[in-house]
Amino acid sequence: MALLKSLLNRHIFYNTPRVIIPAVRLFSTDVKPAEDDAPADIENPYKKERKQCILCKLNIKPDYKNYRLLSQFQSPYTGRIYGRHITGLCKTKQEQVEAEISKAQNCAYMPYYYKDKTFLKDPKLFDPSNPVRSHRF
Amino acid sequence: MPAYEFAMMFRAMPKSELKTCLKRVSQAIFDRGGIIKNIENLGFKPMPYKTSSHGLVHREANYFVLKVDTATQAVADLKEEYSRDVDIIRQRVYKVQDETENSACTLEEEMLPPAYREDVQKMIKIGKTQVNRFTYKFKYNSGLDYYPFQK
Ligand SMILES: [Zn+2]
Repeated sequence: MALLKSLLNRHIFYNTPRVIIPAVRLFSTDVKPAEDDAPADIENPYKKERKQCILCKLNIKPDYKNYRLLSQFQSPYTGRIYGRHITGLCKTKQEQVEAEISKAQNCAYMPYYYKDKTFLKDPKLFDPSNPVRSHRF
Repeated sequence: MPAYEFAMMFRAMPKSELKTCLKRVSQAIFDRGGIIKNIENLGFKPMPYKTSSHGLVHREANYFVLKVDTATQAVADLKEEYSRDVDIIRQRVYKVQDETENSACTLEEEMLPPAYREDVQKMIKIGKTQVNRFTYKFKYNSGLDYYPFQK
């Protein structure tokens, strides 16, 4: 019986808070109205900008007559079209580029097996040795 | 009438001859009720590959692009007529794509990890409805009292 009493006592003792927090908070200054102090409802300023491929960003539609642009997506060694993981284009633009390149090659504007040597020093739109996904070449 | 682009390559020839040649080509379009909206001269330049036509090998050509509005039935007719023309060494006809609303770039969604990509999720969904060949095990309670395959 004594044991039970001491256990009960201890239980009550531990559970009672030692510091009594007053329910009413005291202010030295006047309380401002809630609207002034409320967090401003703005857009997330740290939100990252939406990624876009270079053709969408500049709003360029690939065209078979603009073979100088198309030749930038061609390998200078084999004349093959670089893949999407190298060019960094979105699916639709890559498809359009591939279709327009095959048109331009068919029209004899662009060679099949090499890149026109006058376009070899054009600025590089991407780095073929640094693809998004690794490849076996 | 749908819009077409005629990409034409003429053989190397003096300017006056080229003029008559272009007149002949455009006259063929007018005869079939077509309209030429624009003629673009891309210049005289070496071809990226040699082309043989009408028994001759050509390494240079005069490049022209005609923007034409014509009936669809007339196009095959024109192509046949131009193929018989000795001055034309190569010709291609492309239909002009009507200006469609360019949709937003989907690069961001394509760059997500595979599990978050929509097309991959679709593939996984299809794969779950099918039998997995690698984990499939023959059930012995199939009613047969022998194993039907070679062990
Ligand atoms: Zn894009």
